[in-house]
Amino acid sequence: MRNFLHTLRVEWLKLKYYRTFWILLSVIIVCIPAFNYVIYDLTDNSFPKINGQNLLGNPFSFPNVWKTVPYDAGILLFMPAILIITLFTNEYSYRTHRQNIIDGWSRARFIYIKIIEVFLLTVFVTIITVLTCLYFGFLTRTPVQPKAGWQEYRFILYFFVEMLDYSLIALLFAMMIRRAGLAMGIFFLYMIIEQFVVSLGRNKYKVTWVDYLPEEVSDRLIPQPFARRMISPASTSLWEKHVPLYLSISVLYIIIYIFIVSWRFRKADL
Amino acid sequence: MTPILSLKSISKTYGRIQALKGVSFDVPSGSVFGILGPNGSGKTTLLGVVMDVLASNGGSYSWFGNAPSEKQRREIGTLLETPNFYHYLSAQHNLEIAAAIKHKPVDDIERVLKLVRLYERKDSKFQSFSLGMKQRLAIASCLIGNPSVLVFDEPTNGLDPSGIAEIRELIIELASAGKTIILASHLLAEVEKVCTHVAILQRGVLIKSGDVKSALSQEEWMELGSAEMEKLKAILDRLPGVNKIISSGNHFQVYFNSPSPDPAWLNSHCFEQGIALNYLQPRKESLESAFIELTNNVSN
Repeated sequence: MRNFLHTLRVEWLKLKYYRTFWILLSVIIVCIPAFNYVIYDLTDNSFPKINGQNLLGNPFSFPNVWKTVPYDAGILLFMPAILIITLFTNEYSYRTHRQNIIDGWSRARFIYIKIIEVFLLTVFVTIITVLTCLYFGFLTRTPVQPKAGWQEYRFILYFFVEMLDYSLIALLFAMMIRRAGLAMGIFFLYMIIEQFVVSLGRNKYKVTWVDYLPEEVSDRLIPQPFARRMISPASTSLWEKHVPLYLSISVLYIIIYIFIVSWRFRKADL
Repeated sequence: MTPILSLKSISKTYGRIQALKGVSFDVPSGSVFGILGPNGSGKTTLLGVVMDVLASNGGSYSWFGNAPSEKQRREIGTLLETPNFYHYLSAQHNLEIAAAIKHKPVDDIERVLKLVRLYERKDSKFQSFSLGMKQRLAIASCLIGNPSVLVFDEPTNGLDPSGIAEIRELIIELASAGKTIILASHLLAEVEKVCTHVAILQRGVLIKSGDVKSALSQEEWMELGSAEMEKLKAILDRLPGVNKIISSGNHFQVYFNSPSPDPAWLNSHCFEQGIALNYLQPRKESLESAFIELTNNVSN
């Protein structure tokens, strides 16, 4: 444990005075509530109210907010991915990944602390998301809602898994490509191509395997939360049935990414 | 005595290129060990393997008689290839990271920065440093915690003549303090002045290793001049043990079969024979010439 904290302290020394890190982190901290506010404003003011009720329901009031905010925050997951790619490719650009090993870290120590950093960033962003949920829940002060339980809180866990999935893909790309700009470009390209394949597969070729592609499967953990009344109960029940599978496959992807990243770093020429 | 570093049949390939072919040698404790070879001979690859940043394809190595580990590397100050630091951090903060990884006290940073004359710039960002300053910072980083072993790969890269002389003095000083220094360089004049032992690599093959005298036999000769060159020639012709005499303008180059005689004896001998020397200079083949001769022989 002491050794782990010592290693973590070294990583902190790398970040403490890195302005880009603080700027990107601040952007994430600001954008999650800000983006949700934009959606909140849109849903609250841009749709007609029927009998005083919003057409899209009350997505930002308790307990719906536990689903809505993680869904919206999920759209912004490219932001922590940019931060991860920047931090990891820096080590390659400055060749400090070699120097850290030369100075007395094992390769395993270097790569595991990077993976742990990704975990910590995921925890941090999840906390921001929870705080945003609470903010909007209290802001809306909507009429009495049923009390939230595991059915609602679990979306925080799903968000955590979804972000970990995205972040570890970013880490993998950063390690394979080594250059920040190129790694970010390919990461975005991959996101777009996967969405294209999913749309094509699902709508044109009617195949279901596309649902289990790396990003799509974790996206599916949090279905879109708006106008739930217009979605058939059968479809909701089908989603509910598939959740354990989506969760298992997402976790499996996480394990695979960790395995590839750590195996490659431990074996390759640095 | 257990060697500081022991290599056994180290091989390394990059695709189809064989960078190292079964290289084996030992680095004795307390030596200044030069790894010599032209660019592309495998010097940096070899050091990369023993510092665990490159994976070898065969063979093994040990530090201090034990299997390599991260703890051992903390006791070795290494400058490999280029100075590698976080560009956005100051010299002080970069060295704090190095000290933390090595588990060495932060207090030592002031000493090493003063040693390489960078203390005044300790708060400047690494990216604002000149090439020479970056190199000096890398040497400072190696010296943190006063390690008993230092590995320098082309340590004078980017330094001006006075910087080169300073590093040379530093290496001599460190060696006299009993430290083992492994020095890879293609600048033979630099190595000649400091090394006690050498390993010579050419295209990944170890040509020779050992102490400098046995690994690189450098030819010796004597240069003599006088106002009466013909009379001098006659005296030299009668001198025992002379192998050949080459006339070189206003002096003769005299090569001996055995080690050259003492210059004082030679001077008095000529005087006794009735001739006054106006020039007497013992000479030794440069390491560079000996090295070129050796590598040419192997190539041929």
